[in-house]
Amino acid sequence: MSFLNEVEPLKNAAMEEFSKAADLAALEQAKSSYLGANGKFTALLRQMGSLSKEEKPAAGKLINVAKGEMEAVLSKRRTELEMSASLPKEPTDFTLPGRRRTIGRLHPLTQVTNDIVRSFRKIGFVVADGPEIEDEYHCFDALNTPHDHPARDLQDTFYLEENQKKLLRTHTSSVQIRVMAKQQPPVRIIVPGRVYRRDNADATHNPTFHQIEGLYVDKNVTVGDLKGTVEFVFKELLGSEVKLRFRPHYFSYTEPSFEIDFTSPMVKKMGKEWLEIAGCGMVHPKVLQEVGYNPDQWTGWAFGFGIERIAMIRYDITDIRLFYENDMRFLKQF
Amino acid sequence: MKVTLNWLKEYVDFNWTVEELAERLTMLGVEVEGIVKQGGEFEGVVVAQVLTAEKHPNADKLSVCSVMDGKGPRQIVCGAKNFKPGDKVPLALPGCVMPTAPGEPPFVIKVGKIRNVESHGMMCSGKELGLADDADGLLLLPADAVVGQPFAQHLGRAGSDAILDLEITPNRPDLNSVIGIAREIAALTGNPLRLPAIKQVESQAQATTEMVDVRIENSTLCPRYVARIIHGVKVGPSPEWLKQKLVKVGLRSINNVVDVTNFVMLEVGQPLHAFDYRLLQTTGMEKPAVVVRTATPQEKITSLDGKERALDESMLLIANSEKAVAIAGVMGGQNSEVGDSTSNLLLESACFNPQSIRATSKKLDLRTDASYRYERGADVGICEWASERAASLIVELAGGKILQTPIDAYPGKTEVKEVSLRFQKVTELLGVEIPKEQMVSFLTRLECVPSLVTDSMISVRVPSFRVDIKSEIDLVEEVVRLFGIENVPSTAPRGAIGSNVFDTIFDQHNEVRNILVSLGITEAQGQTLISSQDWPGEPEKVVSLKNPLSSDMNILRPSLLPGLITSLRNNLTRKTASVALFEIGKVFNKSNQQSTENRNVAIAMTGPRSQIFWQGADRDANFDIYDVKGLLEEFFEHFGIRGVTLTRREGPTGLYVESASIVLGKFEIGTIGQLTPVIARKNDLRDAVMMLELNLDLLVARRNAARSFKALPQFPSIRRDVAMVVPESITHEMVSQAVKQSKAPNLELVELFDVFRGKNVPEGQKSVAYAFIYRAMEKTLTDTEVNAAHELVLGKLKGQLNATIRDN
Repeated sequence: MSFLNEVEPLKNAAMEEFSKAADLAALEQAKSSYLGANGKFTALLRQMGSLSKEEKPAAGKLINVAKGEMEAVLSKRRTELEMSASLPKEPTDFTLPGRRRTIGRLHPLTQVTNDIVRSFRKIGFVVADGPEIEDEYHCFDALNTPHDHPARDLQDTFYLEENQKKLLRTHTSSVQIRVMAKQQPPVRIIVPGRVYRRDNADATHNPTFHQIEGLYVDKNVTVGDLKGTVEFVFKELLGSEVKLRFRPHYFSYTEPSFEIDFTSPMVKKMGKEWLEIAGCGMVHPKVLQEVGYNPDQWTGWAFGFGIERIAMIRYDITDIRLFYENDMRFLKQF
Repeated sequence: MKVTLNWLKEYVDFNWTVEELAERLTMLGVEVEGIVKQGGEFEGVVVAQVLTAEKHPNADKLSVCSVMDGKGPRQIVCGAKNFKPGDKVPLALPGCVMPTAPGEPPFVIKVGKIRNVESHGMMCSGKELGLADDADGLLLLPADAVVGQPFAQHLGRAGSDAILDLEITPNRPDLNSVIGIAREIAALTGNPLRLPAIKQVESQAQATTEMVDVRIENSTLCPRYVARIIHGVKVGPSPEWLKQKLVKVGLRSINNVVDVTNFVMLEVGQPLHAFDYRLLQTTGMEKPAVVVRTATPQEKITSLDGKERALDESMLLIANSEKAVAIAGVMGGQNSEVGDSTSNLLLESACFNPQSIRATSKKLDLRTDASYRYERGADVGICEWASERAASLIVELAGGKILQTPIDAYPGKTEVKEVSLRFQKVTELLGVEIPKEQMVSFLTRLECVPSLVTDSMISVRVPSFRVDIKSEIDLVEEVVRLFGIENVPSTAPRGAIGSNVFDTIFDQHNEVRNILVSLGITEAQGQTLISSQDWPGEPEKVVSLKNPLSSDMNILRPSLLPGLITSLRNNLTRKTASVALFEIGKVFNKSNQQSTENRNVAIAMTGPRSQIFWQGADRDANFDIYDVKGLLEEFFEHFGIRGVTLTRREGPTGLYVESASIVLGKFEIGTIGQLTPVIARKNDLRDAVMMLELNLDLLVARRNAARSFKALPQFPSIRRDVAMVVPESITHEMVSQAVKQSKAPNLELVELFDVFRGKNVPEGQKSVAYAFIYRAMEKTLTDTEVNAAHELVLGKLKGQLNATIRDN
C-alpha cells in the first residue's frame, strides 16, 4: 500500500510546480516530468498492477481524482500563460491613429446631378444626352433664336476653327431638338451636361459649366404642370421649406416664359428676398413645328438651370472655380 | 434701364410704395434689379396757408393758428408775428426732421402741447429751413404758391424719389421708356395712361420742304424718317427739372437742345437727333438734302465722340449731298453737331432696321442709347409724335419757331398687324380657366384693339410699339402676365413615363464612378478647354477653337489626362502629397476633318500609396505602375470586362514615358503607363505619376455584366509551388499562355507570388514563383493525379519557356 501514500504528496508537488511555471515551455517540461511517459506520476501508476483485485477500485479512484486535479491546474496555468504570451510587451495605446484605407469621393457636381436626376426619375423622367460639339441649327435656329441674336456672336459662343458652323453648345436645350426630332411624343427627359460660354473665369463664371434641362411634351401639358413639377423637384433638392416664385421672362424657345426664384431661411440670411435659380416656359409652337410636332395637338414645357449654382447654394460655396481645381481638401468635404 | 418713381407717376396713377411697385413690375416680367431711394430736401415740409390766427390763451407772445396744409386745417402754435391770415408759409408736419448744425442731435417735429394748447406742426422761418443765415419771422411765400405742394417742389428743388433699375428682356423694346413702363402699370391697374399733352408753340409760316429735301435710298433699312426744322433757337443750359431727370437715370446734361432729344428718347423710347441746320448746307445748293444711304467703300466719318470711323457698304448713313453727317441710329457726326452757336436745327426722328443697326454698332464697337433701342426694334408708329413732342419742348426751353408741315417720309408703312387668340388655347396651356371677358379686358388694356370677338376667339390689332406680338402664343403670354403666374395653380406631377436610350448609360457611368470611388480614387472635374501647349499629340488630330478666350484654353481636350495632371499640380503646390483622381468626361478628336467626341474615364495618381502611418516597412511607398494596374484589374472584374490584353509600347509616346496599350478584342480601348518626366517637371510633380485612360463608350458597349452562380467547391484543393529561372524576356502573359497550353487537368488557379532578381540568379534572367492550385469538382484528387497534371505544366514551362525549375 505504500505507493498510494505517495500519490498525495506527488500531486501537491506537481500542482505547485505547474502553478509556478514561468512560461509555456517550463509548463510543458513540468507536465512531462510528472505526467509524461517517464514522468514520476506515470511511474506510480505502473505500480497499480501490484495491487489486489479488491484494492484496485479504490486506488484507481484515488489516482484518477489526483490526476484530474493536476490536469485542472495544468490547464488553468496553460491558459494564463497563453494569455500573457499573446499580449504585447507594452499595453496597446488605443488612442493611436489606425491604419486607414482611403475611399474616394464623388465630385460635388456629380452628387448634385445625381440628386436632381433621382428626383426627376421618381416622377417618370429619364436621362438623355447629346453632343457637346453642336451646330447652329440645334443650338439656335431650331430653338427660334433670331439670326442676329447676340448669343451667336463670336464674343459669346465658342466656334471650332476648322468648321465654323460647329460650335460648343451654349445650353443643354440643343438636346431637346435632337431628342424630339428622333422620337414621337410623349417625351419626358432630363439632360444633364456640360455647356460652354465665352466668359472669362471669375468667382461666378467658368467657360465650362453644367446645366440640367427638363422637357415634357404630351397631350394637355399646362403651365400648372410645369409649376407643380418644378416645385416638387426643388423641394426635394433644397428642402421642403423653400418657396418658389415664377415671374414672366423671355426666352426665344418658350412662350410664355418664366424665371424661377426661390427663397428659404438661408436666402433671407444672405440678406436677399429671392434668388434666381432657373428659367422655364411652355415650348414655343415654332419649336414644336420645327421637330414635326403639331402644336395644336401637343404641348410641353421645358426648363433649365445651372448645376454649379445649385451646388453653390446647397454647400455655401462662393467661388465656382473651386469645382474645377480638384483640390483634394475641397473634394474631401462632400 | 432706369426710371424714377416720380417720373412714372406723371403718366399713370398708382398708390404703391416703391417696394410694391418693384414687386408688381417684377411679377409682370420687368425685373427690378435695384432700387435707390433719394431722400429729397425739405422732406415733410409743405406749402401751407394761414386761415386764422388768434392770441394764445396762456402766452402773450404766442398765437394759435389754423393752417391749411392742402388736405385739411391744422392747429399750429406759433411765436412769429410777421404774418396774417391768408399768407402762405412753409409748414413742417409732424415727423419732419429739421436741419440742425453739424453735431447737434436731429430735431424732429412732434405733435405736442405748448402751454397747454396742442400744436400739429411748425411754421418755419428761412433760418429754420437752412435757407437763410438769420431771419425775422416766418418765410412768407408768394401768393401763387400752391397750397399742399411739397416745399421742395415749390422751390424747384429735388423732392424725394426712387430710382428703379430695370432689366428689360430683349423681346420688349417698348419697355425701354418711361411711358412704356407706365403703360404696363396702367394695364395692371386699369388706370388710364396719360400721354403728355404737346404744347402748341409758335410756328413759322415757311414749309419744311422749302428748306430741306429728305431722300431715303433704302426703305428696308429706313422705313420712316421725320424731319422738323426749328429756326432761331438759343442753345444754353437746361432748366433744373430737365437736368435732374436726366442725371437721376444716369445721363449727362449737355445743353437744352440735346437734353430734350435725350429726354424724349427716355420718355417714349424714340431716339432723336438734332443737326445744326447750317452745317448741313452745301455751297451752291438752294436747300440741303438729307440723304439716308449706305456708306461708300472707304468712306469715313468723325463721330461725336471725336473718333474717326471707317465705314463699309453695309452701314447706313445720314448724309447731305456731299458727305456723311451721322451714322444712322448709332451716333451723330462731329461735322453737324449742335453747339452754342447753333440757331437753326434739323430734328431727326426716324426708324431704322434693327439688324442693320446691330451689325453696324457691332462692327464699329460703338454702343449708344440710340443704337441699343434701334437694334431691339423701335416703334415705327411713334416717330412723328416724338418729333412734335421734342420740337415743342425745344421751343419752350430754347426759343425759336417750328417750320410748318414737317416732312414725314414713310416708305416702310405696313399694315397694322392682326393676331387672334382662341380662348381655349389659354385654358389648354395654363390648365386654368380664365373668363373670356377678363382676357378681352387684359388685351384691351394693353392697347390691343379688338376687331372681332366671338364666343371662342378674339382678333386684335396690335399697336405698333409691340414688335414682339406676332402670333397667338404671344397673346397667351400677355394674358398670363396680367392674370398673374402666381394665380395659376400647380398640378401634381403626372403623365407619361419617359424613355431614352441614354438613361441606362447614365447609370453605367455612375457605376464606374462608384467602383472607382470604392477603390479609393476621388472624382475630379477638369476644364474641357485646355492649352495646345499641354498636349503633346499630333496637332492635326486636335479640335481647336476659332475664338478662344486665351491660348491657355484654345483646344478641346483630346484626353482627360492634361486636366488631371493640372489637378495633381494644384494639389501638390498646396502640399497635398498623395493624390489619386479620376474623371469621366467627353474628349474630342478630329479625323478626316470631322470632329468627334466620346466619353473617356481616366485616372492619375502620384505620391504616397497609403495614408500616413506610424510604423511598418512599406509605409513610405509611393504609387507605382502596379497600383494603377491593380485598379484596372479590380475595375474590369467588377464592371464586367474580360479578355483584355496589355501590350507594351516601344519607347515613350505622348504623355507617357513608358506605357502599354489596352486591347479588348479588336479594339484598343485605352492606355496605361507613367507620365514622362518632361511634363512631370513642368508641373512640379516630383514623384512618379501613374496614369490610365480608357474609352468609356467602348467599355459600356463591350461589357458583360451578367452574373451566374457557380456552385462552391465541395472537395479540398492541392497546391504545388514552382520556382523557376527564366530569361527576362519571358512575360507573365507568356507563362500564363504556356500553362494554359499544357492543358493540365483540374488546374483551378495559377498565382504569381514572387519575382526575384539578384543572388543566385544569372544576369538577364529572373526567378519567378507560381502557386498551382488543383481541384476537382466531383472528388478529392489523389497525389498521383495531381502529380501527373503538374508534370504537364512543368514540361511545358521547360520546353516552351526554357525555364530552369528550382528545387528547394
